[in-house]
Amino acid sequence: MSAIPRPAAAPARPALLRWLTHRDTLLSTGFILAFLLVWQAVYSAELMPRWAFPSPARTFASLFEMILDGSLAKNVGASFSRQVTGIVLAALAGVPLGIYLGMSPYFRGATLPFFRMLYPVPGLAWVPLAILWFGVGFTSTVFVIFISGIWPIMFNTMAGVQTLSGQYTDVAKVYMAPRWLYVRRILVPGSLPFIITGLRLTYGVGWRVIIGAEMISSIVGIGFLIDDARWQLRPDIMIAGMITIAIIGLVTENWLFDFIERRTLDKWGMKASGT
Amino acid sequence: MTGAVRIDRIDKRYDSEGGDVLALQAIEATIGEGEFVCLLGPSGCGKSTLLRIIAGLIPASGGRVLIGSQPVQGCGPDRAFVFQDYALFPWMTVQDNVGFGLAARGVPFEEQRRRALELLRVVGLAQFAEKFPHHLSGGMKQRVSIARALAVEPQILLMDEPFGALDAQTRSVMQEELLRIWARFRKTVIFVTHSISEALLLADTVLLMTARPGRIKSVLRVELPRPRDEGEPRMIELRRRLLAELSEEIARSMQQENEDASLA
Repeated sequence: MSAIPRPAAAPARPALLRWLTHRDTLLSTGFILAFLLVWQAVYSAELMPRWAFPSPARTFASLFEMILDGSLAKNVGASFSRQVTGIVLAALAGVPLGIYLGMSPYFRGATLPFFRMLYPVPGLAWVPLAILWFGVGFTSTVFVIFISGIWPIMFNTMAGVQTLSGQYTDVAKVYMAPRWLYVRRILVPGSLPFIITGLRLTYGVGWRVIIGAEMISSIVGIGFLIDDARWQLRPDIMIAGMITIAIIGLVTENWLFDFIERRTLDKWGMKASGT
Repeated sequence: MTGAVRIDRIDKRYDSEGGDVLALQAIEATIGEGEFVCLLGPSGCGKSTLLRIIAGLIPASGGRVLIGSQPVQGCGPDRAFVFQDYALFPWMTVQDNVGFGLAARGVPFEEQRRRALELLRVVGLAQFAEKFPHHLSGGMKQRVSIARALAVEPQILLMDEPFGALDAQTRSVMQEELLRIWARFRKTVIFVTHSISEALLLADTVLLMTARPGRIKSVLRVELPRPRDEGEPRMIELRRRLLAELSEEIARSMQQENEDASLA
């Protein structure tokens, strides 16, 4: 260990170049290209009926058409705002509940079995009820994301509080820290590795249920886009929608959470742990 | 507030599956204000347990600890604790770690920072104020932890094998540091160690504890001027005495461990 700060990040260009020529990057890019070739071969050999199985070229053409005419942006925007709203609400409820679950044996004893019963109910099972309660559109989709996404963040936060080193609690006791200070400056940051893991899971869950929810309860959004393409017999649009989901999910998940981790756990030397 | 400590017939019992375990038995000791006391004993003798009882982190099963004339009931502003593995908060800067005790006491933020910096200067780490603990070496971390304890201006500093995790070189530097700080602030120090040399270098008084159940086996006044030289005849003699007594207890404690293991 040393007191000397780590050297600043290397200049961007060589890093990018190194990444592009890295073995794993070459392998994974190669695999994706191979996959596209097989796809094209299946299409060319007419192993599947053409009305139900588009070519890669057609699919990417549709993707660009939708980008150009703004329909993709509109649907992505709708899905994304629901996703963000649902996740933020899940975190606002899940983190405090998780902390309280971790701290209070009484609260845990009373509520945990009930929460454990709700947890395995698939998010999509809530969709019909959500439509009855909130109608078709924004609120019902957000509700479904919330009710499916709250569990990972809540359970992980609880685990974080429970596994927090007893020594930190001893320090708080020795200096007679008031409860609120203990929660704010010890429990929450100390549980952050778990909280971030929970948020990652919650984010993934949200992104997965949103498509299904939008197919049923929405007239805009990527889920709607995919479902609507069924009536137009446009499998290329369906697949373009799926590609969009994959890319947005991957990029936002990595960027967002890597950013949070760099600003917290990495800086504090707390990397690792989490479930 | 006073730094005089009286330990009055302290017992500590633990419930365990094989019945009660008696960890401490009828511990008696009187520690004067500003005195440097080392609790020395074989591992598992309950010296850390005793320290935690004095801190108010855990209750005793019998007897009481008096600070001045006040019985200990939980932690108090007159005592601060230095943990063996530092127990610094990785998510706080060094300065915020040192200021934590003050924050807990509701000291205004600017005042916290000012006093934290002042104490970091005392332990020679002012230039690391904005760093996070994982950038520091073990010895530096322990200095931060000592600064955190001093920041709340306790009368009594409780130290639980604070240098146990350090390499020999760093350990000896830290011992000198501690003596320098102690000479400056003149707090009562109760220092747990299993090292005879450490106890002899630091303490006014060494309380030697027996193997479980921990009792005070003997009280040794070192009464030598500091800095002390381990090669001095008087030190060698004290060392030999402590070694003889401690060896008996280590042998007993190892025998106990064997018995425990064969019972399990």
